[in-house]
Formats: sequence, structure tokens, C-alpha cells
Amino acid sequence: MILSDLIHKKVLDAEGTVVGNLVDVRFVIDGAPGQLLASARLHGIIVSRGTASTFLGYERNSANSPFILAKFLEWRHRGSFLVRWRDIAMIDDAVHLRASFQRLSPNLPQNRS
Amino acid sequence: MKKLLGLALGILTAIGGFLDIGDLVTNGVVGSRFGLTLGWVVLVGVVGICLFAQMSGRVAAVSGRATFEIIRERLGARASMANLGASFIVNLMTLTAEIGGIALSLQLASSISPMLWMPVAAVAVWIVVWRVKFSIMENVTGLLGLTLIVFAVAVFLLHPNWLDLGSQLLGQAPKQSSESPATYWYYAIALFGAAMTPYEVFFFSSGAVEEKWTVKDLAQSRMNVLVGFPLGGILSIAIAACATIVLLPKNIAVTSLSEIALPIAQAGGKIALIIVLLGFVAATFGAALETTLSSGYTLAQYFGWSWGKFRRPARAARFHLTMIIALIIGLAVLATGVDPIAVTEFSVVFSAIALPLTYLPILIVANDPQYMGKFVNGKATNFFGMIYLVIILVASLAAIPLMIVTGAGA
Repeated sequence: MILSDLIHKKVLDAEGTVVGNLVDVRFVIDGAPGQLLASARLHGIIVSRGTASTFLGYERNSANSPFILAKFLEWRHRGSFLVRWRDIAMIDDAVHLRASFQRLSPNLPQNRS
Repeated sequence: MKKLLGLALGILTAIGGFLDIGDLVTNGVVGSRFGLTLGWVVLVGVVGICLFAQMSGRVAAVSGRATFEIIRERLGARASMANLGASFIVNLMTLTAEIGGIALSLQLASSISPMLWMPVAAVAVWIVVWRVKFSIMENVTGLLGLTLIVFAVAVFLLHPNWLDLGSQLLGQAPKQSSESPATYWYYAIALFGAAMTPYEVFFFSSGAVEEKWTVKDLAQSRMNVLVGFPLGGILSIAIAACATIVLLPKNIAVTSLSEIALPIAQAGGKIALIIVLLGFVAATFGAALETTLSSGYTLAQYFGWSWGKFRRPARAARFHLTMIIALIIGLAVLATGVDPIAVTEFSVVFSAIALPLTYLPILIVANDPQYMGKFVNGKATNFFGMIYLVIILVASLAAIPLMIVTGAGA
């Protein structure tokens, strides 16, 4: 599976109601150690309700200026959430979530480096 | 001298934006029809391009990434493809016009038909792009382009009625002028679009990477912007002023490059004419180099090919191949006998798509602390950046309707 297969797919909960569109995926770098970095592991998917557009980098808590632009994009993506990969039951034409899935904040915490 | 050469990138970039063949003629047309009543647009455009070129230069110096790499990364494949398509067409049209412009300038100097000069011009541009070091290229064309300052000198030599010129700058329409508001605003947007053409930031930021600017060169980047673009703006107003003083009262319509040179001949005679012809050749040649390189830069940066004149051509093969193909297409278009200046007329339409999609990502990345560390935009820059984003959006939306209503300013 490649990323293009996933992006823009509908996301359904366990009852089959549409909860939004898949707009992005999130990786964490904590896999097996590699030469430069540890290898990446798929952490979850970003589901957006209203819009298919990207966050343009404003999903990070550290990105908040220009103020008006940041607020506008926050408004465009209101109601977006992160679902962990293990909460996904099946992927066919749409992404089916398990009944127990949690809506997590899509924001990325401050970069610690 | 060394300081002056350090500013060559900014000067060359500004020449390509403000004084390329399309703009030389447009400025003359505007001056001969509207007087200096559109002078404020040039001012608005200069401030805008300074603002965003400074951001793109800073991003390039701090992160080492040129503008189209940023666009590709932030907007994603689809939206940046829309930008690439529009920008590339603007580039190609301007490049075509410039090759024709070099030929027209050389015709004025030599009386040899432009059709014969065109292949010579294209080959000359290619040789410079292929062989000449970036720094030598920018220094020579930047310095020779400065000869166009003769337009500013000519304004004084023509002893104009300063009161008239001043009141026109403040919006008082000249007595002889009878133009409709739609035409006025069409030219306003054309001038604004010319001042902010996207290839300026593509070229400026890629040039900064070619010159290997780092954080240490931020002051130099700022000086380049603050000298180059205002100079371009002043010269473009000076061209309009010369046309206003000499051509407007006599109802002489500007249709080609030779009418632009008329006021210069009247003001300074043969020597001034020689200088201005040299300036025409240098400016069109500089603009041809800028647009040729920009076509290579944008395509290579979108697709992630290796690019840059600092690499040997074999190490950036696709980058160089793109530019060769662009030059061949330009020559082929010119071979049909089309008027080179008319080619640029429709670039306004494509600029309307490219402008917002170019300047939004620059503003976003210039604010990104992960890229920029402590060199992110200040509050004032962001304030004006947002205002300009709105102006750009309004101009983009208005461009195509106005073009249709006025028949491209006829």
C-alpha cells in the first residue's frame, strides 16, 4: 500500500457512519535503529471533517504566525482528529475504525530537539 | 566596487522584473497614455516585491532551500503543479519575448533584421547559461543594465513642468488623456503583476543558493533587495515620465521599442542614444538569462532533480536540458513572426494563478521556526505580508475580467 491509496479516503466508524476524510498520516521515529535515524513507524491517521486540504504545517503547536493565517487554518480544520493505527479495523474503499477508537488531538507538540 | 558587485544579484533580478522588454514597452505605453497617474502602482509593487523577495532570500540563506522547493513541500503535489504550470508558462512567454527583445534592441543598433538576430541571441543566452560562472554572469549583466539610469537623467535634461508631473503622481489625470477607468485598472494590475512576477523570487532565492549565502549573508541579502528593486521601480517610473513629457503632448502612441528611445534622443542626443541602446540589450539579455534559468530552477526544484550552475552541466543534466528545450521553444514561437512584445500580453492571466500560490508558501515558511530558528518573520513583516496577500488575491481575481472587458488594454 502506498500513501496515495489512503489519502482522501472516507473514514467510517464501527456503525458505518462517515466521520470524515483521511487527510494525512503521522509517523513516529522509534523503530529499529538505522544509520542516521531510527526507522519510522506509522502511528496513526489524521481525519478531517470539513476539508480535504492540508494543514500547511500549522498542525504543529510551534507554528502560530502570522496570527490571522494560523487562526484561519485552525478554523478550516476544526473538528479534525488523530486516530491511532491500531484503532483501524479494515481498509477497503473506505477506512473502517474499531468501535473503541479515540479522537486524539491532531496537534503536534513542541519540537523537543 | 566590491560592495556594488555584491548587489548584482538584486539588480539583475529587478531588471528582469521591471525592465524586461514587455515592461520597457508597457511603461512607455502607460506614460504616453496615463501620464504618471499610475506611479503609485509601481510604489505598491516595489514595496511588495521587497517584502517577499527579502523573505525568500532569508529562507534561502538560513535553510539553503530555494523558493520552489518550499512551494512543492508546503502546497503538496497538486496545488504546486498548478503553480508550476502557470509559472512555467509565464516564464516561457517572457523568455520568448526577451529573445525577441534582444533582437529588437540589436536591430535598433545595427539595422539588421531581428529575424536574423534571434538565433544569435538564443545561442548567446545558452552559452552563458552553459559556460559562464553565476557570479560573472550577474555582475556583467547587472552593471551593464545600470546604463538604463540614462532614463532618470533624461527626465532632468528634458526640463519638464515638475508641478504637472507631481500632480499626476498624486492622481490628477493629464489634460490630454481620456482613458476609461477599466483600462486604467487593467494597466494598474499589469504593472503590479510585472513588479511582483514570480520568477523574480525563484531566481533571487535560487541565486542565493548558487552564491552559497548563509546566515552571515543576511545583511547582504537585505541590501540586495533594498537597492535592486527600488532602483528597478524608479527606472520604470523614469521611462513612463520620459514618455509623458515627450510623447503624451504630441499624441504619439507607443507600439515598439524605438518610441521608448525617442525621448532619450531628444534629451541627450547621439551619446545618450548609444547608452540607452546598450541598456536595452543588457536589460533584455539579463531578463532572458533570468527567465531561462528560472525555467530550469522551477522544474528541477519541483521534481527534485539536481540543479544549479554551481554544478557542472553533466551533474545537473535535466536542469540544463530543460533550459535548452525552453530556448528552442522560444525560438520556434518567434520563427512564426509573432510580435515579441505581444507575447507577454497574456502572461497577466497566468500570473494571476501563480502569484498567490507563490507568495503564500513563502510567507508560511518564513514563519516556520523549524526552518528559520530565530530568523522567523517579525510582527511588522507579517502584518504587511498579510495585507499584500490580500492585495495579490484581489488583483488575481480582477485580472482576467478586466482583461476581457478592456480587450487587453486596447
